[in-house]
This record gives sequence, C-alpha cells and structure tokens, in this order.
Amino acid sequence: MERGELLGSLEYIVLLALMRLDGCGHGMLVRREIEQRTGRDISIGAVYATLERLEEKKYVSSFTGEPTPQRGGRAKRVFKVEAAGKLALKTTEETIRSMTADLKHGLERI
Amino acid sequence: MKRYSPPLLLCRFIGSILPVTYNDFLLGDLIEEYAIRLETTSQLAACLWFLSQTCRSLPSMVWSLLRRDWLIRIRTAIVVYLGMAMLKIAAGLVISKAFAPRQTAHVIIGPILFLITAAIGGFAVARIREEATIFLALFVIVSVVTSIALNICPIPVPWWYQFGFLTLGPLMVLMVPAAVRSIKPAAGRPAL
Repeated sequence: MERGELLGSLEYIVLLALMRLDGCGHGMLVRREIEQRTGRDISIGAVYATLERLEEKKYVSSFTGEPTPQRGGRAKRVFKVEAAGKLALKTTEETIRSMTADLKHGLERI
Repeated sequence: MKRYSPPLLLCRFIGSILPVTYNDFLLGDLIEEYAIRLETTSQLAACLWFLSQTCRSLPSMVWSLLRRDWLIRIRTAIVVYLGMAMLKIAAGLVISKAFAPRQTAHVIIGPILFLITAAIGGFAVARIREEATIFLALFVIVSVVTSIALNICPIPVPWWYQFGFLTLGPLMVLMVPAAVRSIKPAAGRPAL
C-alpha cells in the first residue's frame, strides 16, 4: 500500500480543518474552524502560508472564487483537499495513533 | 445589522506591502470576518482584532511571498535596481552640470533625486512583476545601510537625514504602486 509523507503539526491541523469543511474552503473559514475547535487564535497569514506549502506539495489545490460585497468586492481563494493530501492525513494519523497507543496512562498523569 | 467599515489605514497598509494577488484574498478574508465579529463585539474590539491579525499575518505572508519563485523575482528586482541607479547617476550629472556642484546643493538635491528614482523604480517593478516589489524595497534598504556604513556622504549630516533615506526610500518603492492601484481600482471593487 502506498504511504504518504508525514505532515507538520500546523499542516496537519489546517488539512483537518479543510476536511471538516467538506474538503473545500477559503482561508477565513479554515481559520475560524481551527479557532472554534482548538481555541488557538491562529493568524490568517499563517493559514495562507501553510495552505501554500500544502499546495506546493500537491496536497491541496486552489481556485479563485467570486468576489462578494461582504468581502469588500474581493475574490476569495478556495482550497480543496486532493487525494495526496488525504493520504498524507491518513499516514500522519496512523503514525500518531501507533506512537500514542500505549501512552494513555502516561499522558493522563500530566 | 451593523454597518461595517474595516480600518482604512490598515487596509491601505496591507495593500501597499503585499501585491494584489496576495492582498486580495487576505484583505477579503479579514474584512469578511471583521463584519462577522462586529455582530457580536464592539467596533473597538473588532478593530483591535483586525490590527492583531494584520501584525501577525504580514510576516508569514511576506515570508511566503519571498520564498515563492524567488529567483525570477530577485532577477527582476536587480534589473530595475540597476536601471534606478543609472537614472540617478545620469540625473545627478545633469543637475551638477546645470547648477554649481556645491555640497549644500548636493545635500538638498540628493534626497529628492533618490526619492524620485525610488518611486519610478517601484512603479516600473510593479508593472513588470508585482511580486518583485518587496525585493526591490529590500535592495534599497541594503544599499542605504551600506552607504551609511561606508560613510559615503562627503559632509557630516544629522542622523535623521540618513534615517530619512532608510525609511522613505523603501516606502516610496512600496507605496507608489499601491497609490497607482488605488487611483485605478479593479472593476467592481471600491478604491481604498
């Protein structure tokens, strides 16, 4: 079976946020999803920098959405998770799961 | 529904630092979330959030911009920088021929020439490859720092004189394309 690359922590969180948005969303939605789920007040610039890195790795693709009045007439850049991105997510999740498998008691004591 | 008006100064600031392709998405997202936040918080809190997002976002966006296709952007910036230098030298020669080459005249005309060539360079680089503007601004900073370190100025000048070169030079490179953009905004978008 083909194995994907391991993701960095922010890449992992951003890709998971995109998956939670049905695999497709723009920077603001990703940022809000992360903030609501993790309580981390992440900057929109960090989200875009991470998404660009993921795009270079072909884990996500992007297209320009329609400008809306809510955005002051500005277009949005919509990102979509690709198959390679899903594979990398799966690989990272499996790695984390196997590394934390017998650590439950140890982590609870922290 | 509350009326939303994003902080104009911050929008202009982002618009002057980042090229259109970047600032469009970033500003659009900030304006969209700012409007959402205004529904639940005060305008001051929303403005502070906007300010904090701007300050924290710009370094990562600028870094991301510098990293991407950096070689071709540096090449464009170098070509424009050389053009700027030649223009400044030529204009300096013409002016020193026309007026007596007195040191005081040099101290007054020097900054004006420098700012005009920086503005022309900023405009030219934005026309050729907008993403290279930030590299040109960096080159201007490096050249000013080098000339201060090498003590090129023939007569002693106060610190604020040199500081003016260091701040206004890169600002002219960045602000002129942004100013031109705000005069001719994209279709369907209000000018900032």
